[in-house]
Amino acid sequence: MVSLLELAHITEEGVRFKSPHNGTEMLLTPEKSIEIQNSIGADIIMQLDDVVHSSIEGDRLEEAMYRTIRWLDRCIKAHQRPSEQCLFPIVQGGLNSDLRRRCAEELIKRDVGGYAIGGLSGGEAKSDFWRMVKLSTDLLPDDKPRYLMGVGFAVDLVVCVALGCDMFDCVFPTRTARFGCALVKTGQLNLKNATFATDFRPIDPDCPWSCCKDYTRAYLHVLANTEPAACNILTVHNVAYQLRLMRGMRKSIVEDKFPDFVQQFFSDMFPAGVYPDWAVDALNSVNINLR
Amino acid sequence: MGSGRLGHIRLPGRHESSVIETPMCTLFTKVGSAPYLGVEMLKRISNVPEIAAMSLGGLAPHHENVREFGKGLGEFTAIKSSLIFTTLHDASAAVTSGKNDRNGVAVWGKGGKLKLDPSLYVKVQEAFRPDWFQALSDGDTDRGTAKKRLIKSVNNTLDFLDRTLELTQESEVLKDSSLIGVIEGGFDEEERQRSAKETSARPVHGFLIEGFEKGHSAVDLFSVENFSTLLSKTVGCLPEDKPRIMETVWSPLQVLQAFKLGIDVFSSAYPYVLAEKGQAMVADYTIPRQSPSAKLEKEGLADGCLSCSGFIIDLKNKSNFEDFRPVLPGCKCYCCANFTRSYIHHLLNTSELLAYVLLMIHNFHQYFEFFSCLRKSVKEGTLDELQASLEIQNNVRSVHET
Ligand SMILES: [Zn+2]
Ligand SMILES: [Zn+2]
Repeated sequence: MVSLLELAHITEEGVRFKSPHNGTEMLLTPEKSIEIQNSIGADIIMQLDDVVHSSIEGDRLEEAMYRTIRWLDRCIKAHQRPSEQCLFPIVQGGLNSDLRRRCAEELIKRDVGGYAIGGLSGGEAKSDFWRMVKLSTDLLPDDKPRYLMGVGFAVDLVVCVALGCDMFDCVFPTRTARFGCALVKTGQLNLKNATFATDFRPIDPDCPWSCCKDYTRAYLHVLANTEPAACNILTVHNVAYQLRLMRGMRKSIVEDKFPDFVQQFFSDMFPAGVYPDWAVDALNSVNINLR
Repeated sequence: MGSGRLGHIRLPGRHESSVIETPMCTLFTKVGSAPYLGVEMLKRISNVPEIAAMSLGGLAPHHENVREFGKGLGEFTAIKSSLIFTTLHDASAAVTSGKNDRNGVAVWGKGGKLKLDPSLYVKVQEAFRPDWFQALSDGDTDRGTAKKRLIKSVNNTLDFLDRTLELTQESEVLKDSSLIGVIEGGFDEEERQRSAKETSARPVHGFLIEGFEKGHSAVDLFSVENFSTLLSKTVGCLPEDKPRIMETVWSPLQVLQAFKLGIDVFSSAYPYVLAEKGQAMVADYTIPRQSPSAKLEKEGLADGCLSCSGFIIDLKNKSNFEDFRPVLPGCKCYCCANFTRSYIHHLLNTSELLAYVLLMIHNFHQYFEFFSCLRKSVKEGTLDELQASLEIQNNVRSVHET
């Protein structure tokens, strides 16, 4: 419910909000959210959660955490297609270790197919972020997938895989593409920037798709500043980048070389060898030591 | 009224092997790319025209960079398989008035106005290395333009042409590029014919006829008194062996009418202009007319739905909310093979880019299909049947609108 939060009023019953389309007031209850998702028919569906901004502390945070558990029970009860659609609860609790632990412990008592970790990536300090992720993954059962919601920077993906997360979404790569940003090994290229006007190289010579086989940075610079076709081309590139990154991680894990992968990834991303402290600490916590 | 002509265009230089059949349309582009579509998406469309028309507004400001690139606009924009035809103005957008004079012509891009005089113009073309390029022209005229201004427009355009010819004679880079002369004269017969004759007397490879409207306007030129006669008389002054081009935003029926008057090459800005409005082409171009749109027409009549016509449907209309048919049942395009009207309606409602991507694919597919049908019907002698069929389908629309 993050995206509509600014328009929303939350009670025990559900989330009351003004429709962004016609302004009419709507009430989204846990039951209604499941009914909608049952009819959409996705393979994985999400519980309705009470999510607060990661800067919120105290009573409101605690209320949101407990309400998320109560709403989960209502969602499970309302779920009409449990044998076809996997319902994911969401671990909440903000940046409070105690609340997050209690939330995870409650959720794992329920019989579900996998878990989401929510309420993070809202601008909190990275040192808090990774500790909350690790706390969650340490508690969640090993035999079920963990989906980290809203996380998209490549560095975050790599660190969070190391911390035990299995699933991510591609909101970040697609959104950044629409703003003219291309993801590469060394970070990102803001193609709207004038420095690309005479850069006739592909975005990434190793990318096998049309975005890099057919197009130069120079032309995409022209297009990114003016035409929606650029969004299309860069979205393909960025999704392909993220898929390659995830595939690379899976392969290295299968080959038992994940720490080498992480090392190589960080050397490419930070060629000067100056790595962010939080990432070094996070990786240290799972015995991956960057050189 | 004439009956139109089949033809083929052979290109000199690097594309010596290509022969292009007319009547045809060019691929309409924005800043050198098919609107909303990258080259990969373009591959999902059949019958994509062999010539891509690229207007200078969004591209001319980058000519220094393209020169440095060194391989011309086709390579630069990644539309490598097509021949490149550089035109002055975006066929889908209105020309902004009052910026032309005897020294040069203004083109408009996102960054604003760029004034082109013949020497800058040739410099830009040398960087772009087009296969065809429109001569610099002063086409800022329409029905309301006074004679004095029309004379000036014809004179300016001829002056630009002469200076361009002088400048390109020395150009090694442009020796294989074909210069397209431009016919002006608004709605004045005398000026139209003078423009046509004078331009024909110069070594140009084809003719672009413009200056009837200031860019894209909602006016159906064929409903304007004298237009057909005037166009026909203008074409009559042009040699038979060179292509005649009009970039007007025209529906299939209007294209057919212009073709009959002797026009060979058209723009495909029409599919784009519709897609921008959330509209899709749904006419049937086969002779005899087959089921899909004939069926549609009946349904449209039955439920009195304003958004369903024989020609176009408006996917923004609420009637599509629970319409799970493809945009045009029977259409072979990627959009119709995979998506429903209901979904596209939803995408439009939520302002998703994908709506426009899908509508571009469908509308391009249909427009290009229409040109295949047009050529086929000329070969088979069924042009009048095709016109009758389009007129009937067009009338279905007006029944609903009135
Ligand atoms: Zn790429
Ligand atoms: Zn279609």
